[in-house]
Amino acid sequence: MATKRLGFIIRGLPYKTEASRLAMTHAIASQSVEIYLEDGDMVEPVVCFVGDGVLNCLKNQQAMKHYGITSLEQHIKNSLLLDLKVLICKEDIERLGIKEASLIMDAEDIGGETKAQIVPYSEIQKEMESVDHLLLS
Amino acid sequence: MKLGVLMSDIRTGSDVIGRLTAEKLGIIFVGNGIYHATVKEDGKASSILGKSATFYVLSEDLESRGFSSSDVDSRVKPVTYSDLVDLIFNDYEKIVWL
Repeated sequence: MATKRLGFIIRGLPYKTEASRLAMTHAIASQSVEIYLEDGDMVEPVVCFVGDGVLNCLKNQQAMKHYGITSLEQHIKNSLLLDLKVLICKEDIERLGIKEASLIMDAEDIGGETKAQIVPYSEIQKEMESVDHLLLS
Repeated sequence: MKLGVLMSDIRTGSDVIGRLTAEKLGIIFVGNGIYHATVKEDGKASSILGKSATFYVLSEDLESRGFSSSDVDSRVKPVTYSDLVDLIFNDYEKIVWL
């Protein structure tokens, strides 16, 4: 019995490329691979937003209205609904002048109980060191 | 010349913008270029906004990324897709994309 930990580090901006969306969908989809694992084996993803990637975490994204696609906001809420660990780099939100009130910190509106966490980069570095597989996008 | 520049990124293109001169210069922030109009990195507005030009930002791209007109720097005018088409056809002779 073992738990494989996966780290998804999102550092790119939303929408122009699919990088951050793919990281989110892979993190969410990683929950479903458990059907292929032995009994007791588990997969535990952690999603970290660093650099310009923290701009994926802004509230009130209206991508469905304007682009006809699911917003990164919805992907983040879905992650929280599935109890994924979501970390947002404190230094980067401060550098970009983003207030916590502007960020997606929970998914209460869709029944989620897990909250995103704003943490120093050192915490994200620890996650990167502790995971079994690391994916940067 | 009357030159319109569509700027679609926050990290690239600033070097080109810095050199461009035109009798009439319009810079339109689209896609991920909208962060030039909204984000104050290290407390400072984008250096591009210091250039002598007329600035616009596409509202649809702004709202898709979680911003509204109230978040936009006072030097930048929010425009819709329809406004953008009018700008391209009526106000500028040449358009470049960065």
